[in-house]
Amino acid sequence: MVAPTEDRRRIASRVSVLQAGVIVWFAALAICFWVLQVVQTDKYVEMANSNYQRTLALRAPRGVLLDRDGRVLVDNRDSFTISIDRETTKDMAETIRVVSAVLGLNEEQVKENVERYIRAEPAPYRPAIVLEDATLEQVMRLKARKRELPEVLVEQVPTRQYPGEALAAHLFGYVGQASEDEVRDGGLSRNAIVGKFGVEKVYNALLMGEDGAKRVVVNSVGREIDTLEQIDPTEGRRVQLTIDLDLQKAAEDGFRHAGFNGAALIMDPRTGEVLVHASMPAYDPNDFAAGIKRTTWDALNKDKLRPLNNRVLQGRYSPGSTFKIVVATAALEEGLVDPDYRVHCSGGANFYGRYYKCHLKGGHGSIDMRHAIEKSCNVYFYTLGEKLGVDRIYKWAEKLGLAGKTGIDLPNEIASLVPNTEWKLKTTGQRWYPGETISVAIGQGQVTVTPASLANMIATVANGGTRVTPHVVKAIDEGKGWKPVPLAAVADRVAFKPTTVAALHDGLWMVVNAAGTGVRGKIPGRDVSGKTGTAQVISNEGRARARGTDRDLRDHGWFVFFAPKDNPVIAGVIFAEHGLHGYLGAPIAKHVIETYYAKKEGRPLPVLENKNTNEPPLADPDSPPVLEPVAVADARPVSARSMTARNTAR
Amino acid sequence: MFERRLYHHVDWAMVGAILTLCLIGLVQIYSATYTDNGPHANFYTQIWAILIGFIVLTLVLAFDYRSLADKSHFLYIAIVAALIGVLLFGVVRGGSRRWIDLGPMNLQPSEFAKATLALVLAKFFGEARRGTVARTDFLIATVITAVPLLLITQQPDLGTAVTLVPVRFAVVFVAGMSMRIFGILAVVAILAAPVAWKFALQDYQKERISTFINPSQDAKGAGYQQIQARITVGSGGPFGKGFREGTQGQLRFLPVAHNDFIFSACAEEHGFVGVVVALGLYLFVIVRSLEAARLAKDRAGSYLVLGVLASFTFQVVYTITMSAGLAPVKGLTLPLMSYGGSSMIATLAGFGLILNVRMRRFTN
Repeated sequence: MVAPTEDRRRIASRVSVLQAGVIVWFAALAICFWVLQVVQTDKYVEMANSNYQRTLALRAPRGVLLDRDGRVLVDNRDSFTISIDRETTKDMAETIRVVSAVLGLNEEQVKENVERYIRAEPAPYRPAIVLEDATLEQVMRLKARKRELPEVLVEQVPTRQYPGEALAAHLFGYVGQASEDEVRDGGLSRNAIVGKFGVEKVYNALLMGEDGAKRVVVNSVGREIDTLEQIDPTEGRRVQLTIDLDLQKAAEDGFRHAGFNGAALIMDPRTGEVLVHASMPAYDPNDFAAGIKRTTWDALNKDKLRPLNNRVLQGRYSPGSTFKIVVATAALEEGLVDPDYRVHCSGGANFYGRYYKCHLKGGHGSIDMRHAIEKSCNVYFYTLGEKLGVDRIYKWAEKLGLAGKTGIDLPNEIASLVPNTEWKLKTTGQRWYPGETISVAIGQGQVTVTPASLANMIATVANGGTRVTPHVVKAIDEGKGWKPVPLAAVADRVAFKPTTVAALHDGLWMVVNAAGTGVRGKIPGRDVSGKTGTAQVISNEGRARARGTDRDLRDHGWFVFFAPKDNPVIAGVIFAEHGLHGYLGAPIAKHVIETYYAKKEGRPLPVLENKNTNEPPLADPDSPPVLEPVAVADARPVSARSMTARNTAR
Repeated sequence: MFERRLYHHVDWAMVGAILTLCLIGLVQIYSATYTDNGPHANFYTQIWAILIGFIVLTLVLAFDYRSLADKSHFLYIAIVAALIGVLLFGVVRGGSRRWIDLGPMNLQPSEFAKATLALVLAKFFGEARRGTVARTDFLIATVITAVPLLLITQQPDLGTAVTLVPVRFAVVFVAGMSMRIFGILAVVAILAAPVAWKFALQDYQKERISTFINPSQDAKGAGYQQIQARITVGSGGPFGKGFREGTQGQLRFLPVAHNDFIFSACAEEHGFVGVVVALGLYLFVIVRSLEAARLAKDRAGSYLVLGVLASFTFQVVYTITMSAGLAPVKGLTLPLMSYGGSSMIATLAGFGLILNVRMRRFTN
């Protein structure tokens, strides 16, 4: 059956219509492909690259911190950081929902964290961190769901590891994510971990190292297929501290054993190398290592005992009787008296028309300087204070390192305050009344000092007049082996007269080894020398007013010491917070000194025995000193009350 | 049956173009499915499909298309039966029931429905006494198309079902449907679109279309594929990234790179140059086929060519448009290139019919 011509024509024309349509469509397709592949190719190449290439930051481990014997104090461990890759995430809300469920986290909390992160870090190629320091279990659960969650990354990150029991926490400080300022000023990335406190902060530039980067090929489910390029991170410099791990432990054990908080700074008086730096209570720096939880941070800040406060450098207290050492030094070096100068103590004396009491009711009788130090006779030092005047006391306080800052290489040190006439005129606009000097002479009044400066003072007394600068770093490994850090410049050098050194050392030796208040620090054959002191928390009238509040009004105790008496090798301070008596700090010093010698002589280190609860309290000549005539009548009941408080505390 | 002289009337140029497209597809499947342990099993399956396809093509050539068209009602009944069989006993994969298990391979009857429908419609309109077509003829043609179409919809496989529609319209169009009616139908279709949107389409289908208009609204599902397809094509650039060097296809950012999106993968690895070559080959095959329709000895021959070509062209055009991320994502294969045994064999059988018509243009 042959198609009629009419049919042929119709078929031919309609086929031509179809043909034209097809050709037009194919031409249009060719143009589309030309636009995509030739005109816009750069844009799509970039998109394809960001699909399969991922740049991962390789965080540099921070430099290891070692103790003076080369034992590792602060190291790094691997932790897992879980984050969401913002570039490949299609639905952030959904991803957050699933991730929170898998990790067992609060979805709202995760959402808030991610949103805060994204606000702070606009660069989209930086993954938003969901969880730092994830547990192994969380990582395994996530790996099992990897196919559904290709945009969720698990990175192994070196994280700071500090010793247990918050050892030397305030010395090490802690690390944290760089703040806005640090990012701007230091040219750091927002994810950078920097030192925020302590050695971590001061030596951050050395410790930080340099982050590396890795450019990898990933497939559509986020699996790494290949590494295109890798820049290895450079580990931070190793830093050797002057700290002695054994002594540090001994001091902190001593505090725990004694049952009070406080601070200790113990150093080598010849060099200023810090052997022990302790502040109790402490925080656990490990809590900060992988980003601190807000609840932990809030708890630390709200804690009434203020564990974040470094009492060694940031606590300022009245030095009490330990200040008598300064007055004695000043009087001897100024040549006003010699060590045999005697004062008659009848239990009190009149100065500038007022009666000031000694703590011993019957008085010490006729007493020379050595015994005045031993017995802590107030009348003796009132007399020296009257002879010196406040400005000469200030001068010698400064020479001994007690006024101002010690210059230690740790952050946030506050200045110790020893008053003088110029200072008073400047701050209050009033002139100095000579009567005020009498209070200052026994470490009362406006004198407030940090434990660090008191340690500096006793070290200067111990070494015979050289005011060293305490420091905590011994050597740095810049990559070419250990390089010792040059000793910090000596702040001041005054060679004391030999008679001065002999009198001071004898008196301080007698405090511990004869009839003084430091007998609990006595170690046969070691000639420990020292002085106790009490820092009043509140004046006697204030105490009466504050009764009934929950403030802890118990006095602080001091014990400054060095050993041995001649050519001392160790010196420092024990601050017993609300410890009531300075002599209660002495056993801590004793334990540290015993450890020091045991180590030096290769004997087993001493261990603290269980507390002997039967130890009788000592009479404490440092207890509430008497300043005002009004208070004199009240003196008896106050000290009785404080005895009661102590007995309850024990 | 197969006289020697007919051998000289075979359109060898078109056979060559078809074979080249099959080989380009094969190379692309090799690249897209290659595993660390060598070529994937899909690669060998495709070789077999091409071989079987050409055997079937030869067989189809051996019989005069007129006698095939005469027997087409048997084929039609067989296909309808097979489609019903699929719904009852078919193999379920990915949520739809499209395959009959034949032991070593699965057969997808819906692929063969296209050529069968073309044969039946060619016979129906070819036998019409007058050159013009009555309204009842349109109705009958519509019913003939609707039966397999609805059966395929039930699998469900809307993509393949829709490819039957161009068969009916192409045949009717060339068979002489008046342009007026054509225009009316077009207007009705446009007016019906919102109604269909509201009642006929399933939610996931609506989503596909709205996603096409705004891919970022479903950046994880269909929108993701569309975006990735465009990135794949665009990043190929003028000359491509090279054989097995395409990051989008090799690293699986582009889904089903050996099947629905094979053209995107090809565009990535061989660039605009490769695209132009492939497009040219397809256009050549289509234009040569249209010529065969013009040259056909009788109306039935023309209608048969156009019926077969209509679904082929529709599928090629749609898939390539989609592979550039310019059409909503729909699970359709690219004939001759995509992986798939049934599709390959049915397509080659269809070209057997087209070659058949051209070859026998001088015979009585």
